Amino acid sequence: MKFQIPIGPQHPALKEPISLRMTVEGEVIVDADIRLGYNHRGVEKVAEEKNWTQNLYLSERICGICSHSHSTCYVQGVEKLMDIAPPPRGMYIRYLVSELERVHSHLLWLGVAGHEAGFDSFFMYTWRDREVVMDLLEMITGNRVHYAINAVGGVRRDLDDLQKAKVLEGVKILRERSVYYFRIGASEPSFVARIAGVGVLPLEKAVALCAVGPTARASGWARDVRKEDPYAVYGELEFDVPTADTCDVLGRVVVRVKELLESYKLIEQMIHKLPEGPIAAKVPRKAKPGEVVSRYEAPRGENLHYIKSNGTDKPERLKVRAPTLANYPATVEMLRSGFIADIPLIFAAIDPCICCAERAVVLTSARSGEESIVRLGDLRRQALERHQKAPLKRNAVWPF
Amino acid sequence: MAVLRTLLYLFVYPGLLFLFAYSTFCEWFDRKVFARLQNRMGPTHTGSFGLLQPIADFIKLLAKEDVVPAAADKGLFRVLPAFGLAVVSAAGLLLPVWNFDLAVPSFTSFQGDLIVLLYLLSLPTLIIFLAAWSSTNYFSSIGGARVLTMLFGYEVPLFLAVLSPAILAGSWRLAEIAAFYQAKPLLILPNLLAFAIAVVAVQAKLERCPFDIPHAETEIVGGTFTEFSGKKLALFRLMFDIEMVVSSGLLAAVFLGGFPGGALVGFAHLVVKTLFVIFLLSLIRALTSRIRIDQVVTLAWKYLAPLAVLQLLIIILLKGLLS
Amino acid sequence: MRIAAFLPELLRSLFKKPNTVDYPFKKLAVPEGFRGTPHLDPDMCIVCRACERDCPAEAIEITAVNEAEKRFRMVIHNDRCIHCGQCVDSCPTVPKAMRIDSLFEIADDSRHKMKEDWVYVRAVIKPKAPAPAPAGESPNA
Ligand code: SF4
Ligand code: SF4
Repeated sequence: MKFQIPIGPQHPALKEPISLRMTVEGEVIVDADIRLGYNHRGVEKVAEEKNWTQNLYLSERICGICSHSHSTCYVQGVEKLMDIAPPPRGMYIRYLVSELERVHSHLLWLGVAGHEAGFDSFFMYTWRDREVVMDLLEMITGNRVHYAINAVGGVRRDLDDLQKAKVLEGVKILRERSVYYFRIGASEPSFVARIAGVGVLPLEKAVALCAVGPTARASGWARDVRKEDPYAVYGELEFDVPTADTCDVLGRVVVRVKELLESYKLIEQMIHKLPEGPIAAKVPRKAKPGEVVSRYEAPRGENLHYIKSNGTDKPERLKVRAPTLANYPATVEMLRSGFIADIPLIFAAIDPCICCAERAVVLTSARSGEESIVRLGDLRRQALERHQKAPLKRNAVWPF
Repeated sequence: MAVLRTLLYLFVYPGLLFLFAYSTFCEWFDRKVFARLQNRMGPTHTGSFGLLQPIADFIKLLAKEDVVPAAADKGLFRVLPAFGLAVVSAAGLLLPVWNFDLAVPSFTSFQGDLIVLLYLLSLPTLIIFLAAWSSTNYFSSIGGARVLTMLFGYEVPLFLAVLSPAILAGSWRLAEIAAFYQAKPLLILPNLLAFAIAVVAVQAKLERCPFDIPHAETEIVGGTFTEFSGKKLALFRLMFDIEMVVSSGLLAAVFLGGFPGGALVGFAHLVVKTLFVIFLLSLIRALTSRIRIDQVVTLAWKYLAPLAVLQLLIIILLKGLLS
Repeated sequence: MRIAAFLPELLRSLFKKPNTVDYPFKKLAVPEGFRGTPHLDPDMCIVCRACERDCPAEAIEITAVNEAEKRFRMVIHNDRCIHCGQCVDSCPTVPKAMRIDSLFEIADDSRHKMKEDWVYVRAVIKPKAPAPAPAGESPNA
């Protein structure tokens, strides 16, 4: 007997609203459908009203986990538009924070994967040790989540020797713990049974559906903007792009843990190579007219900002493509073969950041194909009207 | 006098009052151990060491709004929580704490009470299934199907595992089995394998991780209990707590030599032994991740059941050797 | 595959102090340089409005109370403030008229209680660093 179960928009496995409509037959999924648009954010519109400096903080708030990714992606673009090169010390500090953020994001993800699989101890322990990197970030930037370290033309805070030593010390602990969690995650039988062979995404599918980030790399596709198109300091540093060829959730765990180890390597190199000098360059308040696309490898995959300037102190357009959006088609593919029990794990394995990917919704009439944009107030009024008119369901129909 | 004694059995010890107080204590113990295993604090502030937290939770749930879905089978939906509570409390009466006399069988201790206890402990599963089905919700229905599927997995290994100490003791009466192992404590050792199997099966019966599949919140929301709220949910939670006490008491009586020494010393035995079993249950909960329903069935039939049969063989051979 | 791979770590924790902190009763210190709540030092403010202009959350509001007396009123809406610290970076005076302290427990039951305001006479100290012209150099350099 086939029926559709709604996973979301409100569901304990989802921290943000999205609707996965799963058609199931008993415990087996036969079809999956993703519906977006439960969150209207208007970030891009607000960006047009704010100046270049203010937008720094706005873009940071696109995401709570990869906040630095968005702000860096944006600031890279603005610097390109303004044609300025931040001083090397500023660059190193900026990308040092990037890598620390990747570490915290991946550790967070490991915990979430554990939680979705009901492995609560794993969740608690990974998050306990994630505090180490959170404290480092707080020490360097002054806050745990929204670091606000970027400034147009460099960074806002310098790093002293004590902080450098603390970072190195923290990285040592983290490396040891990450290796340990990898051992646990890959050897606890009940956990491995849940993630091995689940959510398979073959390489050709990953390529065809344009997967990004660890999702693509776990299918054996070594895509990484840091390597393909080395921006900023990444050309001077040594690191590998880890891949896995199991194409399943286990592969995504493996890739992320290996990436953690690469990030530790990068952090150490950056601390050791940290050049002397100023941390920020002087910048004009206005940018020249022009447009620019900025790419950045966020923890979840390639992040893309398109910025257009018309010569004033505000952007004319800011377009954000968060990595999660690129991974949705692949997610539908992965969900199509599996059990109900696998839904949260498969979906969590792309490390979804749903609200980052949400913009506005354009309603298209199914009959005429006409597009319309509805204001929030009207939408609420329509909903109330419809609710009041709807007949009371006295005898709800139960299919069984 | 006899009437007073019976009333004492029923309402004080090991009846309702004791079961309520002790099961909330056990929930606290379980939560605290689970938290400490995870390097957390666990309940801390309600009562000293958070001892009253489970009771506070219970009262809070009692006070919450109680919603009955329009399409639900209202009669069943209302009655089942209380019925479940009654069943597990009745099972609690059969625990051989002080309410028995080895020579004379009574209504709480007789030949075959082991079977009755096991049966009474199976009933909650069916009640949960009915509760899920009567609440007419997709998530509940999936949960209900999972409850039944799991039942077919763990019930047989549990019965087989409990069988072997009973066969070695040559009795179907809990008090006699316990007395047998009190007399010959060394014979507890050959039953260790059965004890391990029974602990795993009880974990499944109590629907705790790795077997919390019927109400896996990240998959099917509240599963079987999606539609239950307020008083009914409170009763169901209490039912699980009492079931935990009773089933760990059963394991203690069958595998760990029961509760000798009358009411007081026996009480100490009861506390220590059940807490030991509950500690093991918490440890399993902390150690594993939730497995899939098909994996439960595989685990039960590929590993647990054959191992239980092996244990039975060993016990039968041993019995032959001994006599 | 190892059964109970996590066991040693779990048992070790059983005899360790919990890693968590009993929060409202015990508190961890915030690190130096933590960005908490912005504050104004009215004696230093030259009312250049750089902070108002650069605040991404529009949390700072400067109004003239009495233009002739050079009396101004600054309101910081802590309910809107995102604690980015840009106002401090933008402030041109030395020492800074705008400061940020490490207070983070500022939640309240009404957004109106989270306002802070100062009425003050504009300072006449000459800033050591030049005040940025409205559309000139960026202050965060
Ligand atoms: S800290 Fe940021 S948001 Fe708050 S008042 Fe200053 S500039 Fe505005
Ligand atoms: S930037 Fe500083 S001096 Fe200028 S108005 Fe703000 S607080 Fe006053």
